[in-house]
Amino acid sequence: MLSMQNEFIVNIADEMQKKADELGAELIIVDAERSPLKQIEQVESFIAQKVDVIIMNPIEFEASSPAVTKALAAKIPIINVNSATSATPTAFVGSNDVESARIAMKYIAEKLGGKGNMVMIHGLMGQAAQLQREEGAKEVLKQFPDIKLLAQQTGEWDRAKSMDLMQNWIQSYGDKINAVFAHNDEMGLGAVKALQAVGLKDKVLVISVDAIKDALASVQKGELNATVFQNANQQGAGAIETAVKIAKKQPFEKEVLIPFELVTRENVGKYLK
Amino acid sequence: MFQNRILTLNNISKSFSGTKVLDGVTLEIEKGKVHTLMGENGAGKSTLMKILVGLLQADEGEVLLENENISGLSVHDILEKGIAMIHQEILMVPGLSVAQNIFLGKESRRFSWLNESEINAKSKEILASLKVDISPKIKIKNLSIADRQMVEIAKAISNNAKVIIMDEPTSALSDTEVKTLFEIIENLKSQGVAIIYISHKMDEIFKISDTITVLRDGKLIATNKASDLDNNTLISLMVGREISEIFPEAKTEVGKTLISVKNLSKKGVFSEINFEVKAGEVLGLAGLVGAGRSEVARAIAGLDKFDSGTIELDGSEIQINSPSDAIKLGIGFVSEDRKALGFIPQMNIRENFSLSSLLGFSKMGFVDIASETKSTQAIFEDLKVKAIGLGQKVNSLSGGNQQKVVIGKVLMSNPKVIILDEPTRGIDVGAKFEIYKLINTLKTKGLAIILISSEMPEILGLSDRILVLSKGKQMAILPKSEASQEKIMQYAVH
Amino acid sequence: MQFINTIRQYGIFLAFLIICGFLSYASSQFLTISNWTIIITQVSINALLAFGVTFVIITGGIDLSVGSIVAVAGVVAALLASQPDLPLIVPILGGLLAGLAFGLLNGFIVTKSKIAPFIVTLGIMTIGRGLALILSKGRPISNLSDAFNFIGGGDVFGIPFPIIVLFIVFIISYLLLKNTVFGRYVYAIGGNEQAAWASGINVNKIKMAVYALCGTLAGLAGILLTSRITTGQPNAGAGFELDAIAAAIIGGTSTSGGTGTIAGTLIGALLIGVINNGLDLLNVSSYYQQVIMGAIIIGAVLLDSWNQKKMAS
Repeated sequence: MLSMQNEFIVNIADEMQKKADELGAELIIVDAERSPLKQIEQVESFIAQKVDVIIMNPIEFEASSPAVTKALAAKIPIINVNSATSATPTAFVGSNDVESARIAMKYIAEKLGGKGNMVMIHGLMGQAAQLQREEGAKEVLKQFPDIKLLAQQTGEWDRAKSMDLMQNWIQSYGDKINAVFAHNDEMGLGAVKALQAVGLKDKVLVISVDAIKDALASVQKGELNATVFQNANQQGAGAIETAVKIAKKQPFEKEVLIPFELVTRENVGKYLK
Repeated sequence: MFQNRILTLNNISKSFSGTKVLDGVTLEIEKGKVHTLMGENGAGKSTLMKILVGLLQADEGEVLLENENISGLSVHDILEKGIAMIHQEILMVPGLSVAQNIFLGKESRRFSWLNESEINAKSKEILASLKVDISPKIKIKNLSIADRQMVEIAKAISNNAKVIIMDEPTSALSDTEVKTLFEIIENLKSQGVAIIYISHKMDEIFKISDTITVLRDGKLIATNKASDLDNNTLISLMVGREISEIFPEAKTEVGKTLISVKNLSKKGVFSEINFEVKAGEVLGLAGLVGAGRSEVARAIAGLDKFDSGTIELDGSEIQINSPSDAIKLGIGFVSEDRKALGFIPQMNIRENFSLSSLLGFSKMGFVDIASETKSTQAIFEDLKVKAIGLGQKVNSLSGGNQQKVVIGKVLMSNPKVIILDEPTRGIDVGAKFEIYKLINTLKTKGLAIILISSEMPEILGLSDRILVLSKGKQMAILPKSEASQEKIMQYAVH
Repeated sequence: MQFINTIRQYGIFLAFLIICGFLSYASSQFLTISNWTIIITQVSINALLAFGVTFVIITGGIDLSVGSIVAVAGVVAALLASQPDLPLIVPILGGLLAGLAFGLLNGFIVTKSKIAPFIVTLGIMTIGRGLALILSKGRPISNLSDAFNFIGGGDVFGIPFPIIVLFIVFIISYLLLKNTVFGRYVYAIGGNEQAAWASGINVNKIKMAVYALCGTLAGLAGILLTSRITTGQPNAGAGFELDAIAAAIIGGTSTSGGTGTIAGTLIGALLIGVINNGLDLLNVSSYYQQVIMGAIIIGAVLLDSWNQKKMAS
């Protein structure tokens, strides 16, 4: 797994464990602590243990690729869950991050009526999720030339950092900002806090991605306008199902795409458990 | 007197930023003789030697080697002319062999054709001429300090040195090594080499010197045949006062016993040390380097642990586990290592003075700067510290003034017993006197004083009784009336 | 000493004024009360950590664990603040005590083991991070009480509460270091530990107190951070130790010990905050922001070594 310090990844791992228990499969979970090198070493040790199937939650698009190549060379099937690598694995279970940004940005465009000023808070620069969410956002911006991107800056996936950043932007642009797109919920919530503090929240749309518990609660309260639900449960379960199929030499789909879902105040109830 | 003159330093003067450190010094050096330079630190010896070897240029005057004016030549050229210096810190390449070091820097010229075995043979020859038994092939890093010094001398000889300067050559040598060095010096003398010898150690100076020149405050005070001088005369020349003036008799009433040390032992360091010191009394601790004087002092002051024995202060037994304990009980300690244990360089004089007594200036944990300033100003004036003011950093003071600050710090903690370990080491004459006077003042104030010094006149001049240590054992306690340099040495070399 | 210290601090202060001058020229929003309120609020957490770290660095040590202590203290405070019936004082005390405990642990190992503080606090940094994850089970802790959230988010007469906390802690730290016996001992130990010991200072006790103080301030910073973002995050505070050390060094604290001031550190922290804020206002890419920040840290250290050389000569 990418990092067991990330709530979303922990959710995927929990769901995988649940599904594995249900299907009677033995599952070993290790934490790569955001180090691609460590991840490769862990895959190597799985190869040495001659496991039936490896499920990897890649840390980086390029750097985690050798793990895939090595597993395939050792004739051990490998499934990428949640994010992709440049080398093609036996199967991929996850969602397309570009799509998540498209969904969020289209919502913004729709709410602003295709015209207005926005800012974007990036994830940690250079990571797959940041790159893909940026790509999706820029794609939509091209379709709506009247939406101006006033500023963009990294919030390093961190709530406090993004809060500082938003405060500084409010100083700079005041009430010119109509919408905020944050690459994850933590940062979205940070922006919400900053806007609330100066009483601007009602005038500014904030949309982020991941649908973590805090974000859902915030959507319900009408603070965060929307988040994009990435179905951790389905990703985790899907990965295990595919793995078991492969192990049993049953036919399987090479690419299982779990669709994103837009969560707004209207439909938040069904995501809150 | 100077028929065999080889080197003349003529009327040399030198100033550093307006201060004259050498004032018209004239020196004549003879072939085959040992000419000793004496003087306190700062008297100008080192500066004079630096000018001689070309490290510094004189403002006035000239240096004549066999009637050739060599002033203004580079260090390298002067070495080529035959003046070599054996440094206090030995400058050699540790990873190279003895032979390689001896011929270092000369490979490319005279000996360029020489291969390894030839420089080895050559070196062996030179070392043999010195009657030194060192293999030319051994690496410098595997040699003792004494052997390295021999190699330096060999190197000087390989340069055909006519004059060899030895700056405190015995400071790191054992007694037997000193003996070997002196044999080599005799040997060099017989070959007609002139030696300029710098040392502070009285006994060896009289043993080795033919001529002695005394410098004081940059001026030449006197040049005499060694046989015409005695210990006291020499000291008087160096410090510019009569002995009786240097160590004025302090008339004090000796009071009750303040500290008494019983059977103090520390395995492998010292054993069965017994003494007591009364109020208004100075106990001198004498002995050679390594005899355990400082170690005894450190144990009493709480810096080191000891194995057995007791210390009584004012009649009751005390437990000392740290310097803090000792200070609280009233035992003050001035270490021989001023830099390492004495002061905080970045702090100013006031802050250093009050370091051991700061709690006395504390009001609810805050430092009462006003009363701190008042008290430190008083001691600043008492000790005549030469500084801009209390706010000057101790780092920027001279050694003597740093020492005054350290002593002041100890005094401010109101000790009953004060231990002074080499209190005058490395400080100028003026400051030395003031410290001597201070010791007498402390006596009259009723402190018990334990004094350690390697300078025999100091010990003899200041102590009421002298405890002599040898190899960690207490050899004798001599009352002042019975003590003499010879007697102390007898016990000390036991 | 006093004189050169003044020059040094004056130098940093001058650099600070020049940068402020440039930023107010470049951005009309920079020199406004509301912007400065934001800058100081943002700076408050780093400044609290930097004050503690200043004490430690002056004794000749270093504390790399403050960032992790922020996380542990934050998680502890959040766990307690998410219990609806506990009074406000409980999460606050919990966070402070967590910080204090880690500080004491640092101090204990540093003084008893004689292992270099760098190594000790590096180890504690990792342990702290792990403990924060264990306590929080790897997930953020939210639904904190409103009273608790006031600490980081509320204001009194229009002044954000973190600024008030910063002001109080600044005054206390400033007086503690400059005017108390304890502060004097801190300088003495950093200037020459052996001499301080031989002068009767209980070096271990003072060092212990310094690490404890640093840990407690990190605990306070953890409470502020947690309250500000209204969640206890186990991965909060990562890298904060470096910002804190940077603030101290920029402010004139010498890494070789013995010199440094709380006022200088405050300027150092403000300088970092002003640059972050200014570069955001000017919408400078975050890549360049990092380069600029690095250059400023090296510049400050150069100034420091230049000053030391000048003092030595």
